[in-house]
Amino acid sequence: MKVSELVQKTGLTAINDYKDREIESVYLSDMVSDMIASARVNCVVVTLQTHKSLIAAANLAGAAMIVIVNGRKPSEDVVALASRTGIGLFSYDLDTWSFAKKLFKLGIE
Amino acid sequence: MDPCTHEWSICNVRHGYLVEESCFECDGRITFFSDEPSPPKEEYREGRHFWAYRASVQTVKFDLKCRACGRIVNLNDVNGLMLSQCTDSDCRVGALVREQGPDSLVYVAVCPNTTHPTGECVSSEGIEALNQYFRARLAPVGRMVTVVPCKLCNSFDRCRGTSIADTGLTDIQ
Repeated sequence: MKVSELVQKTGLTAINDYKDREIESVYLSDMVSDMIASARVNCVVVTLQTHKSLIAAANLAGAAMIVIVNGRKPSEDVVALASRTGIGLFSYDLDTWSFAKKLFKLGIE
Repeated sequence: MDPCTHEWSICNVRHGYLVEESCFECDGRITFFSDEPSPPKEEYREGRHFWAYRASVQTVKFDLKCRACGRIVNLNDVNGLMLSQCTDSDCRVGALVREQGPDSLVYVAVCPNTTHPTGECVSSEGIEALNQYFRARLAPVGRMVTVVPCKLCNSFDRCRGTSIADTGLTDIQ
């Protein structure tokens, strides 16, 4: 499934311009440093973190998109860095578990 | 020349704390990795140094293993990675940052003692393996990174960048 298709099916709010990459896996965590060792290339990162180190780590992991839950919004410098890497940043109003259930129903595991 | 075109993967993942200490005698600063349940905060003497706890962050360490030849590169001397945003015109890392294309970023591999009193930093073997690993991983998605040792920084303490570290749930913005 493409990033744009997931956005449309889950009602995510796009925060930046992004590359419409194919999503291959999911990584749920609020631990940024663990992402480098555990997340896979072209994954969806679901987190409530919003600081810049999130983008620095997601870039090394090769993440396709980041979904920030609980309606949190990153600052402008975080958005600018994400745009430079091509990683899509999205906001979701509800919590991690609610979004995880949506992903599961869509067959993304 | 190494006959293997390595296929690196991450191995020996360790969770713990990156602990920073400073010496009130020489003003030096060191970092080390601790896998204890909570970060050690005791002051101690080591030669002419009196090390005192400054801060700690949760972090993850790992090594790299080649799937083809089985070689393992120990990354114990890498205490973290920092995305460089250096603008220092006299700094070699800053020059590298300016040379990069829009799809490329520079990361600094941070060694335990960023003042480099003995000249030691992250091993060249570690830097080479990290570059090969991340480049192979990111090539299919059209991204590129360059990893450099922190000894390339003019002054690491004044270096602008974003360290990949966990600030803990109480610090979430």
